[in-house]
Amino acid sequence: MNTREKFSVGLLCLGLILALLPLSGSRSFTVKPQKLLTDLLDGNTYLTVDQVAKYLVSEDSSVQIFDLRTPEEFQAANIPGSINIPYSKLLDADPSSILNNGKDRNIFYSNGDFDSNYALSIARGLNIKNTFVMKGGLNEWFNTVMNSSFTGEKISARENALFETRTRAKRMFSEMNSLPDSLKIKFFQSKHLAAKKLDGGCE
Amino acid sequence: MEFIKKYKVVIAIVLIVLVLVVIRSMGANHFRNDAKKWAEPSGKQSNIISIEQAAKLSGRNLIINLDKDASPLMNITGELENIPADSILSKNHIKLIMKYEGPVLLFSSDPGLSARIWMILSQMGCKRLYILTRQTDNEFLKYKFRPDTLMH
Repeated sequence: MNTREKFSVGLLCLGLILALLPLSGSRSFTVKPQKLLTDLLDGNTYLTVDQVAKYLVSEDSSVQIFDLRTPEEFQAANIPGSINIPYSKLLDADPSSILNNGKDRNIFYSNGDFDSNYALSIARGLNIKNTFVMKGGLNEWFNTVMNSSFTGEKISARENALFETRTRAKRMFSEMNSLPDSLKIKFFQSKHLAAKKLDGGCE
Repeated sequence: MEFIKKYKVVIAIVLIVLVLVVIRSMGANHFRNDAKKWAEPSGKQSNIISIEQAAKLSGRNLIINLDKDASPLMNITGELENIPADSILSKNHIKLIMKYEGPVLLFSSDPGLSARIWMILSQMGCKRLYILTRQTDNEFLKYKFRPDTLMH
């Protein structure tokens, strides 16, 4: 057997071994279980709807919100600026390619608490640290932000700031979701434009 | 012997690669390969069950209360273990869960916590693992948004 033949057999064997290898590393959890558990039990992985409302109102570009619901649910109503990645699609795709987007915070939400927390566990299991969950999901968003009202006689400065944030987030949500679908994307872009103009920035 | 002598270089390369593959596969990480496969029941929501559904499962249930305060659980028959979430991976607990032959039901007043623990245990290869909940419609939107047609 000459060198060329040996090399060919070796390559063939290597190919077989590679074919028998488990799926790529990104498809399996890479952190150790105990570390993942500690990570997931950290209360900082939860964000309240008020915190998300604040990011929305301030149009914080370091934050990306992910809507894990179905496209139909997303189209019916969604948090402005959010990206729709149904949970089932997130499982099919490589989450690293979606979530390594240079944002400081990737926030998951669904209608409730299950899908968003599964997604968080998967992301953190793959060692993607900039991931968080909006606690209570869209149900809590409606309950706290969309149904917010003030009925008392006195309001503290802190309560007033919170109420104002909720009101502005509610207005943005209503304005955005009342638009025809074709205009929704343009709406959010124009909001960014308006903010820059107010700040005196250049376009 | 003739064969081994003839192909010793090739065999040596293959053996080295095989050893590397085995080391990588059996590494310190205790999670199973193919995260998608182990997460699949969560996509179908077949891992979430109510008390009524749990009663119909075959085998004796192992109910794990993840909350620190041993809150009284629903009327459900089975073996009850109070295991706070932060100690779920301790040697004894993980051994109990992995070797249990019947259905393992995770319960917490915080559905998000149950979901997180379910994902960890599932990825470690725990089968017949369920989330026991009072609200199986947690992922159902209870509110309907009505577009404001007068806004623009």
